[in-house]
Amino acid sequence: MKPVPRLAVSVLCAALAPIALAHDEPARESGRLGKVTFENSCAPEVQAKLNRSVAMLHSFWYSAAEKSFTEVISEDPACGVATWGLAAILMSNPLAGQGASAQGAQKAMAAIELGRVMGTRTERERDYIEAVAAYYDDWANKPERARQLARAEAFQKLAAKYPRDDEAQIFAALYTAGTQQQSDQTYAAYLKAAAVLEEEFRKYPDHPGVAHYLIHSYDAPPIAAKGIPAARLYAGIAPDAPHALHMPSHIFTRVGAWEESAATNKRSMEVAKAGGEPDEAYHANDYMVYAYLQLGRDAEARRTVEEAMRVQGSNPVRFVAPYAMGAMPARLVVERGLWDQAMQLPMPPKSNWPASQANTRFARALGAARSGNVGMAREELAQLAQIQQALEDKKDKYWATEVEVQRLIVAGWIARAQKNDDDALRFLRAAADLEDRNEKHIVTPGRLVPAREQLGELLIEVGQPKAALAEFETSRLREPNRFRNYYMSALAAEGAGDRASAREYWGKLAALGAKADTDRPELVRAKAALQ
Amino acid sequence: MRGAAAIALLAFAAAVHADPYEADPDLATQDADYAAGKRAVDAKDWASAVERFKRAAVRHPENADVQNFIGYSYRNLKNYELAFTHYKRAIELDPRHRGAHEYIGETYLLVGDVAGAERHLKALREICLLGCEEMKDLEQAIAKSRAAR
Repeated sequence: MKPVPRLAVSVLCAALAPIALAHDEPARESGRLGKVTFENSCAPEVQAKLNRSVAMLHSFWYSAAEKSFTEVISEDPACGVATWGLAAILMSNPLAGQGASAQGAQKAMAAIELGRVMGTRTERERDYIEAVAAYYDDWANKPERARQLARAEAFQKLAAKYPRDDEAQIFAALYTAGTQQQSDQTYAAYLKAAAVLEEEFRKYPDHPGVAHYLIHSYDAPPIAAKGIPAARLYAGIAPDAPHALHMPSHIFTRVGAWEESAATNKRSMEVAKAGGEPDEAYHANDYMVYAYLQLGRDAEARRTVEEAMRVQGSNPVRFVAPYAMGAMPARLVVERGLWDQAMQLPMPPKSNWPASQANTRFARALGAARSGNVGMAREELAQLAQIQQALEDKKDKYWATEVEVQRLIVAGWIARAQKNDDDALRFLRAAADLEDRNEKHIVTPGRLVPAREQLGELLIEVGQPKAALAEFETSRLREPNRFRNYYMSALAAEGAGDRASAREYWGKLAALGAKADTDRPELVRAKAALQ
Repeated sequence: MRGAAAIALLAFAAAVHADPYEADPDLATQDADYAAGKRAVDAKDWASAVERFKRAAVRHPENADVQNFIGYSYRNLKNYELAFTHYKRAIELDPRHRGAHEYIGETYLLVGDVAGAERHLKALREICLLGCEEMKDLEQAIAKSRAAR
C-alpha cells in the first residue's frame, strides 16, 4: 500500500463540497437505513460510517452517500475501497438506463485512480475498485449499453470469485438487472437478478439493497405482483432514505394496491418536507393523490393537492415538481369526469420544461370536447400542438409522443361532438395504440386518463358496449384496479346485457370505494345495482 | 504521477449525476461530436458532418436522429446509396421518425424513384393523423417532381 498525501484527501473533499449544495440536500445522519455489513480492512473508527455509506448507496441516496464516503476517506486515508463507493455513486441509478454524465464519469475515473494510488489491504477490496472501473473503461468511446454489460460482467466475476461475499452477490444482481432492455418482454435480466436476490432476501430480510433491488427487478406489469413482499418491507427497513419510502409505491401502483401506495407516499412526503426536499415531496404527493382518487377518497385527495401546492423551492432544472403541479389538480376533475370543471382549470406556472402545461391543456381540451364546446376544445388543441412542437424542437421524443396521444384523444372527442364517429374511433384507437408503445414514465403514477379507457368510453357512447368491455379489459392489464375503469366496465357490461359481469364490476367498484369520503354518483349507482 | 493527475482532476471536476427527471434529452447538450456535427450541417460542411456524426454514432448506436443526420449529410454529398442506408437505419430505429421519412422520400425523388417517395408519403399519412409539416413538404415535393416530368 502506498502512502497517500493528506493533501489529496483534502482536495477530494473540497472537490466534493459543491455537490451537496448543488443537490440541496441536508447531510442527515441516521442509522435507520437498514442493516449492511460490508467486510473491509479500513480503520475501526470508520467502520460504522463506511457501512452507512454503503447502505445509502443501496438506497440510491447519492448525495448523502457521496458525502459519507468522502468523510470515510478523509478520516482514514488508507481506506482505498471507499473510492469504489464514490465511483459507483456516479454511475447514478443503474436501472434508469442513463448512466453517468460526462462530468460524472471524469470524476469517477479520478476517484478510481485515487483508489489505485491509495491501495487496499486486501485483494477483494482492490477487485471491487476494478469491477466498477470496468464500467468507466474507455467510457467516451462506448455506448451506455456496452458500459452496462461490462459492469454486469465484472461484478458477476467478482461474485463468482467471492461466493461467500453477499455484498458482491447483491451488487452483481443489481447490475444484472441494469442490463434489462425494454424490448425484452420475457424480462430475462430482471428475473435472473431476482433469483439471486430472493435467496439473499431469505438470509437478510432487513438489507436495504436486497429489498430495494427486488422491487426494481419486478417493476414491469406482468411480474409486479412478485415484488409485493419486498415493497411491503423496504420502507420499514430504511425509513430515513427518501427513496425507500417512495419506491415501494411503484409496485403498489402497478398492482393497484392504493391503500399501501397512499400510506407509503404520505410518509415519503413528510420525510421529504422535513428534509427540505421539495421535488420529492411533490412527487410523493402526486402518487398519493392518484391513489386516493382510486379509493373514492376525493376530499383527502383535494386536501393533499392543497397542501402540496404550498411547498416552495423546487428545482427548476428537473421536471418532477412541474409535472405534479399540473397533474394533481387535473386528476381531481378528470378522474371523476367533471368536464365542466376541467374546462375551467387554471394554468400552472410555466417552467423550462415545455410539457409542464400539457396536462392542464389536455384536461381543459378534454373537458371542452366532452361538453360539446368544440371552439374551446380546438383552441386548447392548438396549444397542445405548440407544446408538442416545442418538445420536438428539443428532441424530447418521449414527451412529444405523450402530448401527441393527448391531441389524438381530444381530436377524437371533437369528432364525436361533430357526429363524425368514424374519425372519432380512428383517432382514439391510434391514441391507445401509440400510448401502449410509450411506456409510462417513472415521474407519474399514471397518465391523467389511460387512452384505452377513453376509447372504451367512446365505444359505449357509439353503442358498442361489447367492444368497449374488451378495451377496458385490455387497459387493466397495464393499469389495474382503477375506479373509473370498473365503473365504465360495469356500464359497458350492462349495455351488452352481461348481467353477471356487470355485477362483478359493480362489486369491485364498491369494494374500492368502501372508505370513500364523498358520495360519488358512481358508488351510489354501484350500491343500487348490488341491492 | 498518477496520484497528482487524480488530484488535479478531482479539483476541477464538478459532480453531475445523470437524472431521469432532468428535462434535457437533446444529444447536442450531451455529446460534443453530435453538437459539432450539427454545427457542420449549419455551415454546409457535409464531409465534417459525416465524420462527427459517425463518431457520435459509436456512443449512440440506437439514436435515430444521428442516423438521420448522417443520411442527410451523405445526401448533400450526393452519395445517395449511403444516404439511403442511414435513412433506412433511422427508420428501423424509430419507425415514426417523420424527418427520416420525409428526407428519404425526397432522396428517392432525386434518383427518379417516385414510387419510393410515395411509399414514405403513405407512411407519413399513417403517422400524422392530425397533419404534420413533413407530410406536407413531401406531398409538395412529389407534386413538383410529377409536374416537372
